[in-house]
Amino acid sequence: MQTSDTDQPSARKRPLRDGLLQFDPPRLIGSRCQGCGVVQYPARDFCPACRNDCQQTTVPLSDRGVVFSYTTVRQSPAGRTPYVLAYVDLQDDVRVMARLEDLEDIDGGARIGMAVKLRLQSIREDDGVSVIGYVFVPDLSKEH
Amino acid sequence: MASTYLAGVGMVRFGKFDASVTFEKLAAGAANAALTDAGARRADIEALYVGHVFGGPVAGQRVAAELGLDGLPISNHENYCASGATALREAWMAIRAGLFDVVMVIGAEKMTDRIKGGVTPDASDLDAMQGYVMAVGHALSAQRYMFDHGATREQIAMVAVKNHAHSCHNPYAQYQREVSLQEVLAARLVADPLGVLDCSPISDGAAAVVVCSPRGLQRLGISSTQPEVRAIGLVSGTLRTGLYDLNEEDISRRAGEQAYAMAGIDPNDIDLVEMHDCFTIAEIVRMEGLGLIPRGEGARWTADGRTSIGGRLPVNPSGGLLSRGHPVGATGVAQVCELYWQLTERAGKRQVQGAKLALAYCKGGTVSGTDGASVTTVVVSR
Repeated sequence: MQTSDTDQPSARKRPLRDGLLQFDPPRLIGSRCQGCGVVQYPARDFCPACRNDCQQTTVPLSDRGVVFSYTTVRQSPAGRTPYVLAYVDLQDDVRVMARLEDLEDIDGGARIGMAVKLRLQSIREDDGVSVIGYVFVPDLSKEH
Repeated sequence: MASTYLAGVGMVRFGKFDASVTFEKLAAGAANAALTDAGARRADIEALYVGHVFGGPVAGQRVAAELGLDGLPISNHENYCASGATALREAWMAIRAGLFDVVMVIGAEKMTDRIKGGVTPDASDLDAMQGYVMAVGHALSAQRYMFDHGATREQIAMVAVKNHAHSCHNPYAQYQREVSLQEVLAARLVADPLGVLDCSPISDGAAAVVVCSPRGLQRLGISSTQPEVRAIGLVSGTLRTGLYDLNEEDISRRAGEQAYAMAGIDPNDIDLVEMHDCFTIAEIVRMEGLGLIPRGEGARWTADGRTSIGGRLPVNPSGGLLSRGHPVGATGVAQVCELYWQLTERAGKRQVQGAKLALAYCKGGTVSGTDGASVTTVVVSR
């Protein structure tokens, strides 16, 4: 598992899905409705909130948030259990589902309300190209 | 608009079966039982609707070839766990429209040879790409439910205790033994806090109903008052934005309201509910979403026995998905079989006394960013 792929600008890499994230700075990409201002992830060309056919502007999302709910997955066809999945509420009022990592040093592990930050990382190699996904890790700058 | 009645029902016992028990065999077994129950012959059936998820292309027609229903208008319907109810809805609409007088609906699934480790959304779903399996959504729901309403792990686990107790009296249930609260709490964890006994099993099975217009009942020589399908609601989940209430179940509220309005009923008059308890917590939040239990009270109601047979509002007298089993395409039709038996006072020791108005609810599938893929709400009365 590589850590920050912005350290390796020459590595061939692509996001997990087109338009989902950017590398520099590392952020998820959403869209904001020019009519009602609601931000959604992933970016879409319509607004699910106001449904008014207003323009959508793609925007990089905050890389900080808090855990809204989480679970430790112990049985999965996706293999390699256990892993922790969570809903993370980003500072832009957008909720994202992602894995939580680097919890080993956190006393008591994950908890609702825990401050976390985004980390992009390679999730697999496809023909020499790193496929880049995202997880969240404890935001230690917020721990006291 | 022709009224729609259930002329007869049938199902096979749900369970885990070896390769010799095929999808087609299960479906034909249920269908033949329904034909017998309705006093109908093959030649009476004008169309066949088959709900399934994993049966493969034209599964319905392969089943028809086993049943002597080949040549008819046959359609296959999929809405994940709401597939069976969706097939029934198509049949109901056709009867209402006056297209047919007597049709067969089958819900069937063979899972044990093709599903391992849990059901998931399609691999192209964004949540699936993060490692989401269905149990995850319910685990996240349970964690939040306990956090928001002060409900306990024990109260949630009581859904499993209740439903396994109910199924002791259901000869078609996959499991027919009680489980204790201790067993549920001690079961191997799947996605915290949910363990194996909080999750419906992987199952094989099939259920079928014969659905008629008044003219169809006449043709079958049925003069008794049959349970009437008053309405079938269907909604899809909506994209949720912002920091929404995870357990709000807006999708369930809309599906319930659609069915209540179409059926012209007051939901407070419902005598029993066959609810989609794919996971323990799901029974709780969906009953609340339907407006049948006040928000935040569902866990307490369960622990207090209010949703047990003999309680204020029995939920899953059949044993539900947890104990009757959950062959995904079959469940929606199996629920309607239970409504039929309850409304015709054929439910034996699991009979809800004086049952006149009943609801069956299915929720099928997930789509990342929405509050669910599909929900069906079937209202049946007598």
